[in-house]
Amino acid sequence: MRLLLVEDDVMIGEVVLDLLRAEHYAVDWVKDGEMADTALVQSQSYDLVLLDLGLPRKDGIEVLRAMRARKDRTPVLVATARDSVSSRIAGLDAGADDYVLKPYDLDELLARIRALMRRSAGRAEPIFEYKHITINPATREVMVDGAPATLSAREWAVLEALIARPGAVLSRAQLEEKLYSWRDEVSSNAVEVYIHGLRKKLGSDLIQNVRGVGYMVPKL
Amino acid sequence: MKVTHSLRGRLLWFLLAAIIIAAIAQATIAYRTARGDADEIFDYHMQQMALALRSSAPLSNTDAARAGIDADAENNELLVQVWTPDGVQIFRTVSRAQLPQHAVLGFSNVKANGTTFRIFSVQTSSQTVQVAQDMAVRRNMAGNLALRTVGPIAVLMPILMLVVWWVVSGSLEPVARVRTQVAARQADDLSPVSESGLPDEVRPLVHELNLLFGRVRTAFAAQQHFVADAAHELRTPLAALKLQVASLERAEHPEARQVAIGRLTAGIERATRLVEQLLVLARQEASAAGGSKAQQVALSELARRTIGDLIGVAQHKGVDLGLQHADEVSVNGQADALMILMRNLVDNAVKYTPPGGTVDVAVRGASIVVEDSGPGIALEERERVFDRFYRIAGSEAAGSGLGLAIVKAIAERHGATLTLEQSARLGGLSAVVAFPKHA
Repeated sequence: MRLLLVEDDVMIGEVVLDLLRAEHYAVDWVKDGEMADTALVQSQSYDLVLLDLGLPRKDGIEVLRAMRARKDRTPVLVATARDSVSSRIAGLDAGADDYVLKPYDLDELLARIRALMRRSAGRAEPIFEYKHITINPATREVMVDGAPATLSAREWAVLEALIARPGAVLSRAQLEEKLYSWRDEVSSNAVEVYIHGLRKKLGSDLIQNVRGVGYMVPKL
Repeated sequence: MKVTHSLRGRLLWFLLAAIIIAAIAQATIAYRTARGDADEIFDYHMQQMALALRSSAPLSNTDAARAGIDADAENNELLVQVWTPDGVQIFRTVSRAQLPQHAVLGFSNVKANGTTFRIFSVQTSSQTVQVAQDMAVRRNMAGNLALRTVGPIAVLMPILMLVVWWVVSGSLEPVARVRTQVAARQADDLSPVSESGLPDEVRPLVHELNLLFGRVRTAFAAQQHFVADAAHELRTPLAALKLQVASLERAEHPEARQVAIGRLTAGIERATRLVEQLLVLARQEASAAGGSKAQQVALSELARRTIGDLIGVAQHKGVDLGLQHADEVSVNGQADALMILMRNLVDNAVKYTPPGGTVDVAVRGASIVVEDSGPGIALEERERVFDRFYRIAGSEAAGSGLGLAIVKAIAERHGATLTLEQSARLGGLSAVVAFPKHA
C-alpha cells in the first residue's frame, strides 16, 4: 500500500516515515503544500494521504480542496495541531475522511489508516476470509486451514493490495507502484516472484491470474 | 458617615443648616416686626378713639357705643375715662381695674394693678380723655398676629428641606450608580462604564477610567493570545517527542536504537529551547518597568561574551564566527536583556549560515551589527519575520520562530531600532540594532 506523507516538521516527518515503512507501507514524503499538489496530480496510485495542515507555500486545507475538486477519491487522514472545533469541522467538510490531533498515538494512527483503507475498499469487516484462508490486516496474521502462514514483507504488501480491491484486476505495473516509493529500486520481475511465493503458501485459488492483464482476488 | 468625607453629607449638612438658620432668622425678624406694627396700630387706635371722644361731653352709653367702646365688662381691651377739668370723672368703661387719673398727656406707660398699662391722654378745655390698654393683653394679641405671619415659614421650611434633600440625592445618584456598577463587576470584566447622565465634574474621571480599561483590555487580550499561541506551538515539538519514543520502543537493533535515541534527544532539546524562548519573550513583553535596574552596558564587552558562548556551536558547524569591529561604547539599559538580544541575533546568524560561511559581529557607534554569509531574508518576508512563531518556509528544523520577536521586544524597550538588510560585504543578512544617540 502506498502512502503520501505531507508534513513540514522534519523531526516528525522522519520518524513517521520510518515507522510507516516498518509497517511495510511504501511512503513518499513531501514537506510543503505545493509539492503535495504536484505529487497528487502526477500519481494516482496513493492508497492514503496523511496530511498536515500547517504547511508552507500552500495550506493543507487548500491541497485537500483541490484534490476533491479534481474528483480525487484517495482517502485523506488529516493529522494536525489545529484543534479548535471550527478547524475540525472545516477540515472534515473540506473532504477529509478523518481528523487526528497532534500529538497522537502512533498505534492509533496506524489503526485509523487501516480503517480508512478498509472502507475505501468497500469492506467493513476487518478480517478477510476466503474459503480456508483468513487474513487479518491489523495483526498481519494469515491462517490457512487454521495454520498460520508466514509471509515476507513484500509478499504481504502484494496480498494487501490485492485484497483491498476484490474483483478488481491489478496490473504488474500497478502492483509495483503499490510496493515501491520513489527512492526504491525495482527489479523487473519482482512482482511475479512475490505472487509465486504467495500461491505456494496460500494455495492457488486465492490469487487469480487474468491473462495479459494482471492479477486479482475474487469478490466475496 | 463623617461629614467632611461625603460630598452628599457635606452638601446636605450645610444646606439644611443654612435653611434652618435662615428660617429662624426670618421668623424672628417677622415676629418682631409684626409686634412692632401691631403696637403702632393699637396706639393709633387708642389715639383716634381719645380724639373722637373729647369732642362730646358728657358721654352716654350710646355715644360710647358709637365710638366703638364696648361697655361690656367681658371686654377688657380699652379703658376709657373722662374727667372734667376739676377732676370729676364723668365717664368710664366698666372694668374691674381702677385707674387713677393721670396727668401726663400723650402716650405713657403706667404700672398699676399688677400690670403695665399703655395710656393715651388728651385734654380739651372741658375735659380730659384717657384711653388705657393692658400691655399684657396687647402683647398677647400682637403675639398672635405675629405668629400668624411666621406660620407659613414654619410650614415651608420642612418642605424646603425635603426638596433640597431630594435634589442633592438625585444629582449625586449617577455617581452612586457608577459605584454600584463597578463594584458588581467580575475580575475580568473590563467593559467601559456608562458615562450617560453623569455630571460634568465626574464624567472626565469616568472617561479616563474607561480609556484605562481599554488599554488593560488590549494588554490582557494580547497576553491571552500569547498563551494560546504558545500552547499551539508546543504541540508540534511534543508530537515529535511522542513519535520519537514510539520509534525507540520499536527499535530492534542497537544501531536503530542509537538513531532513535539521537532523534529523541534532539527533539527534547528543541522542545526545551522553545519553552525557554517563550519564557524570555513573555518576560520581555510583560516587564516594562520591572527587571534589573538600568545601567551603563558596554556593548563591546557584550559582543565578546556572546561570541565566547557561541564559538563552540559555530565551530562544530564549520561557521567562522568573529568580532570584526568594536568601538568602546556604553549604552543605558538592562544588562541581561541586552545579553539575550545579542545572543539571539548571533545564534540566528550561525544557525542560518551554511557550513563554510562567516558570521561577523561589530559594534559601530551606538549600534550592534551582525552580518552573515547565509541566504538572508527575502524582502517580502522582512516584516513577517518579527511575528511570533513565524518560520520561513523550509528553514532550519530546530528554530522556535521566536528569536526575532524577542530581539524586537528588547530593542523597543530600550528605544532602539532594529533593521534587517542585505549585507553588502558577506551577501547574507545584516541585522542592525541602533540605540538612541543620547543613551
